[in-house]
Amino acid sequence: MKKRVFLLTAFFVCSLFFISTALAQVPVRMRIIQASNAGQNIDPSLKDVHKELGSLFSFTSYRLLREENLRLSPNQPVTITAHPGRFLEVTLVGMQRDAARLKIRVIREGKDILDTQVRLSPGRTVLIGGPRHGEGVVIYAVSARF
Amino acid sequence: MRNSCSSVSTVLEKYFDQEVTDEERFLVEGHLQDCPACRDALKSMEELRTLMKVPVEEAVQKEDFPWVWQKIEREIRLQKKRTWWQSLRSWLDVTPLFKRKIWIPAVATVVVLLLISTQIIFKKTPSYPDVSVVEYVESQSDNVMVYQLEEPKVTVIWLFEGPEEERTTT
Repeated sequence: MKKRVFLLTAFFVCSLFFISTALAQVPVRMRIIQASNAGQNIDPSLKDVHKELGSLFSFTSYRLLREENLRLSPNQPVTITAHPGRFLEVTLVGMQRDAARLKIRVIREGKDILDTQVRLSPGRTVLIGGPRHGEGVVIYAVSARF
Repeated sequence: MRNSCSSVSTVLEKYFDQEVTDEERFLVEGHLQDCPACRDALKSMEELRTLMKVPVEEAVQKEDFPWVWQKIEREIRLQKKRTWWQSLRSWLDVTPLFKRKIWIPAVATVVVLLLISTQIIFKKTPSYPDVSVVEYVESQSDNVMVYQLEEPKVTVIWLFEGPEEERTTT
């Protein structure tokens, strides 16, 4: 009988814990795009940002190098290899009702070549570009989805 | 002294069932030697036992006990299955003392879950405008530019990274 009570209590506590943890997480879509003037290729998977990219930059080719769908928990940095020699560290530093605060660091050889903090509404994207890659540059497209 | 038939008849059935003491056995056997009526009575008992024993043994031999067990098991299986609600209730059916202790956290959990899910389902439209705002930006090595366009609503952070050769020599 005591075992039943214990199991039920544990179940309720675990349910609450997992639900609260899941609610605290923020899904973030991270796309790493190579932009260059070599060719005229537009990656079909970049349809949704192609208009923005075309209006902002004069590159002729956009290729998706990598896509990561991250689930960020508050103050827990997630590091991904952006492209050779560079790492991207994303941390959820705050969560308001309709905006997530993200700290984004681009690290090269252990040094921050970029350290920024952005506030993103759901569905909005911030583009971070400039690091060289091959014949072009790399653009990181960071979108919050919640 | 010769024992009377009436006194022996009281222990004759016990003698027949072999439940008499040594003394009673001596008494009955002594009487039976001299009394044909009691011998007949004893013989009648033996015949009656034979008459009863034979059909009972035959019936027992004929009886199919495995079949009986199969029937019992089938009846058990055919018992009405409990619904999930009955199973849950029986699982939660602990002593009245614990009943309240279990239901209080259970109800509290359900209420919390409902509140949370209601908030998610009926989430209002964002009170913030659709924004992507750069709160700060810095670089230890390169120049950085931030520009935000109204149409399309895009925020760009551009890092003016020097060529590889420059970086390796500096």
